[in-house]
Amino acid sequence: MLQSSAVGFGHLAMAAMLQKPGDVYATDSLNAPPQHVTPRAKRVIFLFMKGGPSGIDTFDYKPKLQADDGKELPYDKPRVQFAATGALLGSPWKFQQHGESGIHVSELFPHVAQRIDDICVLNSVHGTNAAHGGAALKLHTGSDTFVRPSMGAWVNYGLGTENENMPGFLTICPTLAHGGVKNWGSAFLPAECQGVPLGVASKPSLDANVKFIENAKWSTEQQRQQISFLNSLNRQHLEQSGPASALEARIHSFELAFKMQTEMPIAQDLSQETEATKSLYGLDDSFTEDFGRQCLLARRFAERGVRFIQVTHSDTNVQWDQHSNLKEGHNKNAREVDKPIAGLLTDLKQRGLLDETLVLWGGEFGRTPVAQGKNGRDHNPEGFTMWMAGGGVKTGIRYGATDEYGYYAEENKMHIHDLHATLLALLGMEHERLTYRFAGRDFRLTDVAGKVHEGLIA
Amino acid sequence: MLTSKFFHSLYLCLALMLCPHSGFAEEADSEGIRFYESKIRPLLLDHCADCHGAETQESDLRLDTPGHINLGGKSGPVVIPLKPEQSLLISALSHEDEALSMPPDEKLPATEIKLLTQWVSMGAPMPDAEVIATRQRIPFNLEEARKHWSFPPLQQLKPNDFDKSYQNPIDHFIFSKLSEQGLTPAQPASKNVLIRRAYLDLIGLPPTPEQVDRFLADESPAAFQNVVDELLASPHYGERWGRHWLDVARYADSNGLDENIAHGNAWRYRDYVIAAFNSDKPFNEFIQEQIAGDLLNGDAQPTHEQLIATGFLSLGPKVLAEGDETKMQMDIIDEQIDTTGRAFLGLTLGCARCHDHKFDPIRADDYYALAGIFKSTKTMESLKRIAKWNEHVIASPEQLEEKVLHNQEIASVQAKIDELKKQQTEKKTVSVDATGENESSEPIPQAKELSVAEQLKELDKQLKELKGSTPELPTAMGVVEGEAKDVPIHVRGSHLSLGRDVRRGVPLVLSQGDPALQNPQQSGRLELANWLTSNENPLTARVWMNRVWRWHFGKGIVSTTNNFGLLGTEPTHPELLDWLAIEFMKNGWSTKQLHRRMMLSKTYQMSSAYDKQNAEIDPENRFLWRGNQQRMEAEVFRDSVLAASGQLDRSMGGSMLHVKNREFIFNHTSKDETNYATTRRSVYLPVIRNNLYVGFSLFDYTDASVPNGDRSTSTVAPQALYALNSDLVLTAAEKLAERLIEQHADDLGLRVQSLYKISYGRLPTHSEIEAVQDYLLNFNSSPTETEESTTQNLKAWTALCQAFLISNEFIYVQ
Repeated sequence: MLQSSAVGFGHLAMAAMLQKPGDVYATDSLNAPPQHVTPRAKRVIFLFMKGGPSGIDTFDYKPKLQADDGKELPYDKPRVQFAATGALLGSPWKFQQHGESGIHVSELFPHVAQRIDDICVLNSVHGTNAAHGGAALKLHTGSDTFVRPSMGAWVNYGLGTENENMPGFLTICPTLAHGGVKNWGSAFLPAECQGVPLGVASKPSLDANVKFIENAKWSTEQQRQQISFLNSLNRQHLEQSGPASALEARIHSFELAFKMQTEMPIAQDLSQETEATKSLYGLDDSFTEDFGRQCLLARRFAERGVRFIQVTHSDTNVQWDQHSNLKEGHNKNAREVDKPIAGLLTDLKQRGLLDETLVLWGGEFGRTPVAQGKNGRDHNPEGFTMWMAGGGVKTGIRYGATDEYGYYAEENKMHIHDLHATLLALLGMEHERLTYRFAGRDFRLTDVAGKVHEGLIA
Repeated sequence: MLTSKFFHSLYLCLALMLCPHSGFAEEADSEGIRFYESKIRPLLLDHCADCHGAETQESDLRLDTPGHINLGGKSGPVVIPLKPEQSLLISALSHEDEALSMPPDEKLPATEIKLLTQWVSMGAPMPDAEVIATRQRIPFNLEEARKHWSFPPLQQLKPNDFDKSYQNPIDHFIFSKLSEQGLTPAQPASKNVLIRRAYLDLIGLPPTPEQVDRFLADESPAAFQNVVDELLASPHYGERWGRHWLDVARYADSNGLDENIAHGNAWRYRDYVIAAFNSDKPFNEFIQEQIAGDLLNGDAQPTHEQLIATGFLSLGPKVLAEGDETKMQMDIIDEQIDTTGRAFLGLTLGCARCHDHKFDPIRADDYYALAGIFKSTKTMESLKRIAKWNEHVIASPEQLEEKVLHNQEIASVQAKIDELKKQQTEKKTVSVDATGENESSEPIPQAKELSVAEQLKELDKQLKELKGSTPELPTAMGVVEGEAKDVPIHVRGSHLSLGRDVRRGVPLVLSQGDPALQNPQQSGRLELANWLTSNENPLTARVWMNRVWRWHFGKGIVSTTNNFGLLGTEPTHPELLDWLAIEFMKNGWSTKQLHRRMMLSKTYQMSSAYDKQNAEIDPENRFLWRGNQQRMEAEVFRDSVLAASGQLDRSMGGSMLHVKNREFIFNHTSKDETNYATTRRSVYLPVIRNNLYVGFSLFDYTDASVPNGDRSTSTVAPQALYALNSDLVLTAAEKLAERLIEQHADDLGLRVQSLYKISYGRLPTHSEIEAVQDYLLNFNSSPTETEESTTQNLKAWTALCQAFLISNEFIYVQ
């Protein structure tokens, strides 16, 4: 379907929604985004904290948890738990109020705390799956049961790219575990909607690159010549076989590939950044350098019109998954990301990009207020914290709340489907109308659920 | 007692039954009834009757009178007296299950939930309810529903219906439709085009120049038939067409989804499929083996082949770390129902998990009738995290014998150890007993004691070695019978909200008689397999005819190959579909016969030439006025590139997975354990869900998680990057260049001719030769002016060959 637009990396847009899949080729003029509602943001940067960072130790201040440290939980634990847990465990970190909003942030995130007035803290997110794989799939695709397109793919399907020479969905250093490719895949959506990975989580971001973007054998000139010879072969073949848009599309795809080969290295060239900028992202500190580079790349991709950029914080461990040694683990993790994230927010803001870029922070679930073992916390999908910044969200607020200990989402409960619905709304799309017909059914990112939380939209 | 268990009559549209209403009130004294009247009735009226009352009956449920409460709703009874934990009414109130939370807006106050729970615990006392008939829900007009085009019996045409001027009836159907539409069929394709088409279609490899020449030289009328026969006899045929089936069977060598662990033995199923196609196993038998191979031999042992075939049911992606084991089991069953439905019947049965199908006449009852069959089947050995699927031991008698001997050896060493230990203990005991308080007065001889210890040490070592070298018996993924049991309706698909039981069976709309199975002792898989392949069931053959047509012609007679339901497309040539199906069954479900029939038609042999007039009437070529130009599938491209460069390793079968069974392909470290460095045919590359070989995923390979009978063809820039910059293509180009230079060291003209024959199966024109010569002359090697001319020559030829291997004429089959 839509072969001619398929040549680029996206811009299906209305075309796809007006035409049923299987229809013949749409034209390029149909790539205007489907403005169901007023769009607040043009793109998304998703800072994915793999493993499940603890809300109650970061952005969900629970004084009663501190007070009742060591006491039994006075209500029932969830029906399905991942691991056995014991009594309440107070947070080992101090919380302090920040900014004009006076929102409490723990000492784990001193730099992000400085930006708290730009942030909308979501304290009542909840999911259904207590295992990493299921929860990561739920967060990325809306389903922990079936293979479904990822949210980045949906966004690209709906909005398309702003820059034909770049992919519309880039995922930097993604993890291959727990859903792997499915978390940035397009499933039944057109192939050009899928995320293009740069590197993997197990390797430093310095080596992150798009596959097959370089050719070691041919010089640029040789390749240029080769492509023009190839074009002449293809043109002649096309002449023989008569008009065929598929053949034309393929001819065009080589031109695009060649342009992309030129564009990507420029987009990734950090030498063009000032020392001050690099330092803002923590590139001058070995602790923050790796994640800082990912964040800086994200900004550069955002500037170039990439619709959905995912930045994954995950090393060779499950990273934020502190079933034990919560303190050491979270200290290390937060230190690696705190400065780069704050740097990204600052940088986007001073370049005037924050208003049109929705930054989303969080993991596949949070962690329990009750202890696992002596000093760890188990997975908690029942109520956890993410946050948004920029892109038309109310800033300097806490939206929703968990119970007094931070176990269950209670006020303005925001299911993952709601998060998706709200994210799409911020991008100008109604989640109930962004559909794709497959196997006899219209599919949505939000399945048959999802509610837009108007309360956090500015 | 009014429970869900007793209501079974699936066949009757209106099964009138008397509800023994006394059950509810049996224990109810006047106090209980007063409790109902004063507390419960008002509560239900206040909070529930708006949606479940006289005016509106959501889910067919009324809660405003005792009689209606007794009757229950669409999902069966809502109140099980004395058992609040089993009563839907109570579980819905708790809001624990997202799928069924009542009242939907706001949970009732805890005090009211408590009252209702208390009431059910009391036995749900109510005044004698009026008798109300209950009925089986059939949310559609059965007779009407059965008229949908794909459901009625196959339509047999009379011989007089055929235009005798066509030797092959296929042409009758296609060409008469063309003339009806005012379309002119294209001319026959040239022999060069035809042989390349046939090779790539049947075996997935391009013909060699010699094979092309032989066909061109054969001027007999049977020339093409001979080629088809040769290709059908080639073992590469099974590799190509078996792969088509593997798409439908969502075959993969890893689980994918959440915990991506290795299907270490899935390859046996893959090899089984390849062999089945090569031996032209009757397709009905092929289906039966995959659904119920373990049950086909009655009381006799099933063959290994039959056991391996049941892997079909086990291969689906599963959430193996699901903490809720009941949910995991129902999800696995759902995957099996969905796959079976789409693969064989072309129906999206999975849609009926949560509710009656929105479009097709498939009820939730039909879904749970099938769910019962799969629930009574054991797919999983364990549901504990990380869950394990079941595997069959498929050892030879020799292997079993070896294992028995080995175990005997272990037992004998163990016995020796036990004996020595016993002696030791006895001695100690004896010595204590004998010496009373003073043990040391009668010391055990040191030397002897040591030797026992030494012996033990030696034996332990032996034991360890033996255990370490225990021969591992070969196993294959597959299912066995479980506990035979019907399954209740799951309200909105949730296992936390159970309704009434449904008898195991097949979908009502497709059944001729009683859809319920008559064999309650076994799971019902055998009956399901027999029903799927019975001549009375027209869908299975229709679906298969259409699949084969799609793979030959690029588009199905029904373009939605996995959906023959109401939302699928209608057939362009329904009579052709039925005629093919009837002939197919007559020919003993032989797929090879079917290929012959299709490929020897004029329709198949038409040229793909463009025609302006035809294109104006039928731009999409729906009626087949010309051959469809088709892009090679991912694996055909890879295999063809390897074959053209002379690198293809044609050895067959076996596993190429580099990790052991059930080990992680990717664990949390994201370390990539996949390895695709091989020149064997693509069908043998491991299919790793969530991380397919990039040469596959880029070129619209199946996702390997859901059945796919109609791969799409996308054209995206990353494919071009792959063509320009991947090792596969660059290496192949260089090998091809080396090969050409070696073959024709001195004759440039012959070399160019050979390049055209290898890559396009035809000779170049004069102007084409000139264009190649120009390119070679202008080949820019400026960065290394000093290179030897031979090196330069190889480089230029490599660049040239690469252009050919990635050109449209190579990758698009005319």
